[in-house]
Amino acid sequence: MLVQVNKLNVFVATGGKDFDSSLPTILFLHGSGGDHRTWAMQTRWFAFNGFSVLAPDLPGHSLSDGNAFETIEESAEWLEKFLKYIGVDKVHLVGHSQGFLTALVYAEKNSKAVSSITAIGTAAEIPVNEHLIKTAEVNRDKAAEMMCNWGFGPYAHKGISSVPGMQPIGISRAIMKNNPLAVDLRACAAFKRGNDISKKLSMDRHCILASHDKMTPMKAGLLLAKNMSIVPTVIENAGHMLPIEAPKKTLNALRQFIETIER
Amino acid sequence: MANSSYYKPETIALHTGYKPESDHGSRAVPIYQTTSYAFDGVQMASSLFNVEQGGHIYSRISNPTVAVLEQRMAALEGGTGAICTASGMSALFSTFITLCSAGDHIVSSEQIYGSTATTLRYTLKRFGIECDFIPINDMDALRSSIRPNTKLVFCESISNPGMEVSNLPEISKLANSFGLPVVVDATFATPSLSRPIEHGANIVVHSITKWIGGHGNSIGGCIIDGGNFNWGCLNKKKKNKFPELTDPYAPFHGISFWEEFGPTAFVMKVRSEAMRDIGAALSPNNAFLILQGLETLDLRMRKHVENTKALLEWLKSQDGVLWVRHPEMRDDEHIKKMFPNGAGSMICFGVAGGKKGGAAFINSLSLSTHLANVGDSRTLVLHPGSTTHSRLTKKDMKSAGISEDLIRVSVGIENIEDIKTDFKTGLKSALRAIK
Repeated sequence: MLVQVNKLNVFVATGGKDFDSSLPTILFLHGSGGDHRTWAMQTRWFAFNGFSVLAPDLPGHSLSDGNAFETIEESAEWLEKFLKYIGVDKVHLVGHSQGFLTALVYAEKNSKAVSSITAIGTAAEIPVNEHLIKTAEVNRDKAAEMMCNWGFGPYAHKGISSVPGMQPIGISRAIMKNNPLAVDLRACAAFKRGNDISKKLSMDRHCILASHDKMTPMKAGLLLAKNMSIVPTVIENAGHMLPIEAPKKTLNALRQFIETIER
Repeated sequence: MANSSYYKPETIALHTGYKPESDHGSRAVPIYQTTSYAFDGVQMASSLFNVEQGGHIYSRISNPTVAVLEQRMAALEGGTGAICTASGMSALFSTFITLCSAGDHIVSSEQIYGSTATTLRYTLKRFGIECDFIPINDMDALRSSIRPNTKLVFCESISNPGMEVSNLPEISKLANSFGLPVVVDATFATPSLSRPIEHGANIVVHSITKWIGGHGNSIGGCIIDGGNFNWGCLNKKKKNKFPELTDPYAPFHGISFWEEFGPTAFVMKVRSEAMRDIGAALSPNNAFLILQGLETLDLRMRKHVENTKALLEWLKSQDGVLWVRHPEMRDDEHIKKMFPNGAGSMICFGVAGGKKGGAAFINSLSLSTHLANVGDSRTLVLHPGSTTHSRLTKKDMKSAGISEDLIRVSVGIENIEDIKTDFKTGLKSALRAIK
């Protein structure tokens, strides 16, 4: 569906079902250069099984108008307006990579409006290689190529796809090269409050990590889990692009966590 | 690297899309000779039908053996996804009807395979889809043939049998500026020699019966989505130009393929609709045989090209050969750019004595095989004027680049000296026939 926030069109995937605010709502936030298709294999399951889902393309990304946010704090402020517009009082927040940083800042300020928070393939803070940022500034396609090379794990590189005939690396690269990667990466690099915030979260929380994550390495993910005082779920043989390359395992880990809360 | 894999083509052809399966560790891709797949409970069944998760339901729609071939083809071409079909023609038909509805229009190169021309000129017309045929490298002709209801531009990367190389960078630039995708039949090129998506094409179609399979044992087709076209573009009336991909699709809970799948919208629509309704599925057994061919594609194409270059030079100096045609004989920049490692293994030449000389040539060959196929490992010859293109009028034959004396050769990977010896016998017979 299309909604207007700050007078700009925002595309929001709702998993193939009309949004229904009476159902428990899960908000999915994509990572750098991504869009709602990151969550294609999770949102539809929840939408068809008793939940309402919201997976927006953040401003400046894919089907949404506007410009990408320069800082994580700006993204979180926008998220407040977005959820106010939608009319949702409480959400389960799910964030991949940069999307989790936005969820983190939103949760800090709006803890009562957050049922739970799930970090996927991420860390409390995401330092970004300066060479990657500079490449993204001058050649998005090249930067997308670098991101996909580092971002996908060994199974995905071999072309093992959960959707018959599809090539996940090709799909991610096609999405990333048309989105504002450099702005997203700079926003990640500049964000330094993640460790502090993640230690203070009081809502239910979960962390799903990939054993072969080179973008936000396991070490950083484990530190985040420690900050959050939880035991993470680790998915083997997967890389940073967890929701795309290991969609079923990511979904199962999410289901187990969120369904337990809602039961 | 390819757009969608970090392995080199030779490695993709051997490994992509498959890891030794868990039960028995089969190193070769297993043949899943099954119609359907057991559901692990009602919830799993409904989630597959609702596209909540990937997986197989029924082999008309998808099959694990076929899916490995599809992924290898997608990775080799640098696409986002692929679908294999029962033949190259069903791949083309599925592509056309996925993008076009009654009242729509196609612009096609006039130099294309005879059966494709027949589909575009006659079969689709019965369903209200019209087609104009143009010299595809004439940009003025392309520009002026585009109408408000045009939905795609079609060409072959190397035309059959005219041997014209479509200038894909220019064609794509112009077509895309009108909001039109370029569909390319790249059968004669194979991804070993040229990858059309890198040159701007949006959808690539193959008859994998030919060089991909390479051994003349199985019919098959493949459609690869480049993932590089904006299906959400609007027409001049500010309406969706491709409602087939953007508008809610009732049979799937009102799904918009473009919104839901983005760079794989086209190929997912083919899977959901054309495979369901037409059912031109590739059999798992054929997929297995074609996979065996694909695994050595790169090696074979090098030998095909080596033999082609040698035969080409030899033919030029032979009595009884009136003319020789191969893309590399032209000094066009776009051919050099698109085919740095050789422009395929098809040669056309004119034999002395016209139709009579051609018949004598073909009848006297003992090594090369006279048949209606190309891309076998063995050398194949044909007289298109009396076979594949016989349904065309004289005018259409001429615009397709065919003359009565034309012999089409699909150069095989035999020892080149044996091929030359065989052709020498044929040429002597042709000359004797006109004395």
